[in-house]
Parts: sequence; C-alpha cells; structure tokens
Amino acid sequence: MTAANQDTTRPQNTRSIMSFLQAHAPFSNMGDDHLAHFAEHATLRFYADGDVVLSAEDGIVHRFYVVKQGRIRGERHNEKAEKTETTFEISQGECFPLAAIIGERPTRTLHRAAGDTFCLSIEQNTFVTLISESESFRDFCLRGVSSLLDQVNQRIQTGAMASMGSSISLSTPLERYALRNPIVCSPDLPIRKAVARMHENNVGSIVITDDSRHPTGIFTLRDLRTMIAEETCTLDSPVRQIMTKDPCCLTAQADAFDAAMLMAEHHFAHLCVVDEDNRLIGMVSERDLFSLQRVDLVNLARTIGTATHLRTLVSLRTDVSRLVDAMMAHGADSGQVVKIITTLNDVTVRRVLELNIKKNDPGIPFTWLTFGSEGRQEQTLLTDQDNGILFQTPEGMTEDQVREKLLPFARVVNDELAECGFTLCKGNIMASNPKLCLSDQEWDDWFIRFIDASTPQNLVYSSIFLDMRAVFGPKEHLDELLDRVSTRVRKNALFQKMLAGNAFQRKPALTMFRNFRFVSEGKKHGLDLKRQGLAPFVEAVRVFALANGVKSANTLERMNELVQKNVFDAKDAAAWKDAYSLIQAIRMRSHQEMLERGEELTNYINPDDLNQLDRRILRESFRQAQRLQQKLEVTYQL
Amino acid sequence: MLEQIRQWIERRRTGRTGNTAPENMPNPKTPGDQLLSECRLIVLDLETTGLHPNKDEVIAVGAVAINGGAIDLSDQFDLILRRPELDITKTVLIHGIGPEALTQGHETEDALLFLLEWMNGDPVLAYHSAFDQKFLEKTLKAELGYTQNHTWMDAAELLPAFFPNALTDGKGLDNWADHFGLEVSARHHAASDALATAELVLIALNKAHKNGLKTLRELHDKLRYHRRLKDIHRM
Repeated sequence: MTAANQDTTRPQNTRSIMSFLQAHAPFSNMGDDHLAHFAEHATLRFYADGDVVLSAEDGIVHRFYVVKQGRIRGERHNEKAEKTETTFEISQGECFPLAAIIGERPTRTLHRAAGDTFCLSIEQNTFVTLISESESFRDFCLRGVSSLLDQVNQRIQTGAMASMGSSISLSTPLERYALRNPIVCSPDLPIRKAVARMHENNVGSIVITDDSRHPTGIFTLRDLRTMIAEETCTLDSPVRQIMTKDPCCLTAQADAFDAAMLMAEHHFAHLCVVDEDNRLIGMVSERDLFSLQRVDLVNLARTIGTATHLRTLVSLRTDVSRLVDAMMAHGADSGQVVKIITTLNDVTVRRVLELNIKKNDPGIPFTWLTFGSEGRQEQTLLTDQDNGILFQTPEGMTEDQVREKLLPFARVVNDELAECGFTLCKGNIMASNPKLCLSDQEWDDWFIRFIDASTPQNLVYSSIFLDMRAVFGPKEHLDELLDRVSTRVRKNALFQKMLAGNAFQRKPALTMFRNFRFVSEGKKHGLDLKRQGLAPFVEAVRVFALANGVKSANTLERMNELVQKNVFDAKDAAAWKDAYSLIQAIRMRSHQEMLERGEELTNYINPDDLNQLDRRILRESFRQAQRLQQKLEVTYQL
Repeated sequence: MLEQIRQWIERRRTGRTGNTAPENMPNPKTPGDQLLSECRLIVLDLETTGLHPNKDEVIAVGAVAINGGAIDLSDQFDLILRRPELDITKTVLIHGIGPEALTQGHETEDALLFLLEWMNGDPVLAYHSAFDQKFLEKTLKAELGYTQNHTWMDAAELLPAFFPNALTDGKGLDNWADHFGLEVSARHHAASDALATAELVLIALNKAHKNGLKTLRELHDKLRYHRRLKDIHRM
C-alpha cells in the first residue's frame, strides 16, 4: 500500500486529530505513523471549568494528556501564605503530566480545567510504544520544555550562522581546542635567544616558566617591537626584564567564552592554559578561538581601546553589531552577548573619556557612573545614555566650583558618546546634568532623601539609580556609597514594600486568559519585549536583591546570589533565568533583523511574526514572570 | 478500522462466524440502570442523498462510541456506502478494500451487518435523531430485514435540556458547536459531524453528572420530561 493510499484509508477523525497534533511541538517533528498510532489509541474527554483533571489522590499516573481545547491550570498549596498558587498553565497543544508518567508516580500538582476543556489522552502502554519508537517524542518527554528551548536557541544560532559559516561553539571547553604546544624558556635567557627560539618555531609569543613549569611571564613580538622602538633594554638582557609578568591563565575546563572575555578585557591575544597545579599545558590564541570569524572580539576591543580619534570610535560601532551576529552564531547565549556588548560599550566610554582628558583635563579626579541597563551589564544594541559623576571635593573648593569644571567636560563627553551611537537620554539622566554630577556627600544625601522620603515619582527612578556601576575612575568611593545605600534599604521595610509595589505594576504581556496582551499606544498588535517582558523580571529581582544585601547589579547574577542566600528556590530561579534569557535572545535577534533591514531599532515585536514554538516559549516565559511577581506579592503582601 | 472490516468479511465468508444472520444480531438495550459513567453510547451521523426517507438513500455512516464518559477513538465507524457522483446504485465503495475482498452484490449488506454488530445494541444518539433513525431503520429493514428498534436519544434535545439558559444563535449543531467553541474538522462529513455531536454529548453528560443524574434511565426520562414540557409550552 502506498503512503498516499494509506492516508485516505485512515478514518476522517483520525486524520483530523493527526493534523491537530501536527500543529504543535513535539508532535510536529513526529512521523505520520507515530501520529496515527497516537490518534487511533486516543481517548477524548471533557472537563468543565473548575473540574479536577488529575490529582495526587488518583495514584500513579496511567495516562498521558494533550490539551485539545481550553486550558489546564496546575495548583499547589502554599502553606506559608495559606493559599493556592497557580504553578503553571497548559494550553492548547501542550502535554501533561510528563514527570509523573515517566517517573511512574502520582502527580504532585493538582491539574484543574480552566474554562471548558477537552483533552486527548493515551494509555501508558501506548505512551511507552511512542517513546520507544519516536526519537523526537522521546527527546521531548525526557528533557521536557528544555528540549524545545534548545530548538529555539539552535534556530537563533543557525540564523546568525548563515553568514558566518562556522560551527565552533563558544561553550566548547579549551581542552577540546588543538592547544598549541607552548614554546617556553627560563627567565634568565637573553632576549636575543628567546627571539631566535620563537623564530625557529614560527610563533609570536614565548612563555617564561619557572622550574616547576609554572608560567611566570609572557613575551610577544609586540613587546619586541615596543622594546626596539622605545629602546628600553638591549637584546642581551635577560627576558625577565621585559616580559609581561603573571600572564593570564585559564584551566583546560574553562570554555572559549571565558577565554574570549578575559582577552577582551585585558586586550591580550594569548592565554596560557594550565592544569590544576598551575602547570603550563598549552597556549590558546584569539585566532584559535575565532579562526573562521571575520570580526573578532579581542581585536575589536583593542582597536576601540586604543583609537586616537572620535571618528574611529564612531566607525567601529558597526563592527560591534557584526560581532553580535558572530557571537550568536558561535553559540553565545543572550546573557553572554549582553555582557559582550556591555564590555565593548565600557571600552568605548572609557576611550572617549581618556581622549577628552588628554585634550582638556578638568584637573579633578572623578568616577564615571553608569545606571540602568548599562549598570546591570545588560545592554543591547538599542541603548541610551544613563550616566553620572561621583567626585571627592578637593580641599579649599566648594562642590559648585568642582561642578563648574566637570560639567563642561561631561557635556562634551555626552555629546561624543551620542555620536558613537549612545542616544542622549531623553530624561536627562546624564553626567552633564548638575543634579547628577555630585560629590560623595551629596550622593549620600540624595539617596537618604530617595529612600527615606520616597514618593511615587521617586520610585520611577529606582530602576535607574539602584543599578549603579563605576566604568571609569576609582571605585572605592562608589563601593562605600553603595554599602550605605544597601544598609539603608535593608532597614527600611516601607521603602522595600513601595519598591515591590512599583515592581508589581510592571505586568508581563499576558492576559488573564493567557493570551498576549498588546501595547495599545499606536502600535497595533505589538509586544514590548523590554517593558512587558524583561522589566517585570528586572524590577522584581532588584527588590529581592536589595532587600537581601545582594551586591551585584546584573539580573542573572542577582538571581544566582539569591539562590545562594536561600531567598529563591534553585529550580524556580533556573526557570526564571531561562525565561529571562529567552526573552532577551528573541529581542536581540529581532534587533539584528531590524538592523539588517535598515530599520530603526525598537523593542516591539509582532507575535504573529514568530513561529508556533517561539510563541509558546515566549508565552511560557511571560508566565514565569507572573510567577516571580506572585512571589513578590506573597513576600510583601501586596 | 478498515482492516477490521476486511477481517470481519473474511471471517464471515469462510463461515467462521455463525451468528451473522439478522435474527442473531445483538438485541437493542433498553434504558435501565446502566451507569452513565460506565456504559457505552453510540453517537452517529448519516449522510444521505436527500431529506426524504422514502426516496433518498444513505451515502455514508460516521459514528463514534462514548465509553465510560470518554470518546474512545479506537472504537469508531467511518464508512462510505455509496458515492452518488459515481451513480452506481446498490454498490458499496468501502474505500481501501479491494474488490476481491467483497462478495459481489453483498457489499451494502456486509457493511450494515458490520455496523449492527459494532453498535452492539447500545443506545444511539444523533443530532436531530429522528432523521437518522428513519433513514437507518428503513435501510436496515430493506437490506437486512432487520426490524428491531434501538434506543434513540436526540442530542438536539439533550443540550437545551441541560443548558436551558445558553444563548445560542439557533438550534443547529453549528450553533451549539460555536457556543462551546468546538472546532469541527470537516463539517458535513459524517464522521466529523458525529465527533462534534459526541463532544457536545460529553459536555451534556458532564452537566448531567453534576445535576445528580446517574443512570441511562434517568437521562432518558429527563429528555422525555423536557420534551413534554416543550410540547405543553407549544400548546
């Protein structure tokens, strides 16, 4: 019997159930025979709104369900809060209960119909047959939604990879790279001989090791060039006089991303790879990491960091966007990419400041602060300036006198940063604003007013000023300031509650009925991924972070620390981090696409442009934001 | 299912099943103390060449079974008896079954015998059941000489009986399907309409259970009472 013939021999209802299944992952990846097996063995049941579908009292789970119409709500009783929480929602095309049927145990969550609901279900033996015969079904059941997440990430990667033509992943541990056998020498070897050894082996660097093979320094052709040009020493001097001491080292278990970030930060092109006892086992160069890549992170960071003209800095910005494409192609996740962007932005900001100090030094030491997303190290290509200045008032000067010198300088820096693509802040949250160019005492007073006399308008600024970081200049004074702020927030329960209430207002883009809630301002059918997707996470996490003395400003790092402090359940936090990263990834992909089409960057997307899988995962991510907000609600009794 | 029919026909032809004569077919069950949560109900839909039982013919039979309160898709009936566009009267086109499997001239008979056996005398529900009942009984009598009466219940009465306040745009299957947001895969395909009707029946049975109705008799009585009430209103 031919395949076409077979299809028409299947009863109409079997065919219609097959095509229903086909529209949803993981069934969309399953073969017709497996789908037919499912459809022919399925049972269709109806549950009215509020009916219990599955509960712990039913004992070991014997059926596997797919929602055909309607929704299922998972309920868990929260004993602390004395109320029932919705832990998840399952909508059309989604399945349950995976963990319980695979674990052959009762479900731990009460499954209740939310609205009139029809479910298809199969018996355990049919389920087992499908698991053993269909690879994609097995993959889905054993790895759950995370396998779908992988699929989304894979697609984001392949999309970005199309132009790159490389398959090396940034998560590859260094030991998997063909590590160069390092050329080494002792510290006493004359430079002339060291260079001869490099020449013989045709390498650009030599590692200086002690007797136990611990790397103590590195000498490169670049150092040789500088040495000859600046005549710092002779070729007969021992190499230790000119080597760069304490070279950057990583273990073989570190991954390519760690290596790339370390190189970008220090502008090195080589890293030593060492074993657990810090003995040298190999070298890795930036060229090893990105052999097939046209734009590379380290070189870009170095070019930005050493640019001598604003013009150069401006032209380098397009390379940053190409780099983001490349990084996504190399498997960097969204958390890594935003860090890369932030790192490069930091380098740019620093260089603009350095160039201006060279040209026109205000003569007063200061710390350049960044707020908001840059403060959290969560910048994307769409970014505006949020910065300020912290200074120590020199003796014999008033604060206003200091400002007289710093403000014109800051004005120029703000304008030049704008030329580099950091849009001027519409709210004037910039260092050239006299209200944000303050001495440490003034900042302290500012925060006292902010926290103790908090007004609703003040709270709007919480997302900006409570995520603060130093980009340039001494850090100690900021650390002291932030310590005092942190203590004040922890002591002030009322402020925490107001902050929590404010965070609670940031509703994720879901309606009560679990459809997408669109922004109404002009943009028909648009989702604002920043305000309706990321902000609910960022704001809620900030409240918990500040209340519990977490120092980090980065949202993902804050969540990690909150797990360590037992404020967040590790599983919950993992789900929230996944969800947050996914929204960020979809946002960045859409930025790259807008850039490609030459459009102005926005944070809006139309969910209709997403495929079924992305839509579903995006919805699930928003749902996680709702769960995080529920925690906020319970903790602060909002 | 076609494989089932093929096997069944094979068995019958080789005389391995002895009880296929109409008089040996399962006896229709009467609505008694069978529990709704356990019994088997047939939900059926016919496609016909027209609206008059006297001159029109059945084209296709689609049916699903409700077992223990759920539609069991491994227990369904989907058969085209005749294709009017081919204008071959008295010929069953059982799709996918080669002519060699069919005894010449007995196709309709075979199919109807199989239907009777599959129905197993269980109560039948249909949307506007009077229509389907007339056609099916006429056909069974003409082809097989079978005259026993199944218990029929009308899904079109069942729904307003349990949802008297539902605001539907009309009394048709489509109106109720829309009311409950059902998606009907291929409207006017017998099997597809039977499934949609069965889904509505599940909704009604869920409500019946909540109203304390437990047995088939109670359901049957409720429908009769509802019908009488309506007749009174009409007078």
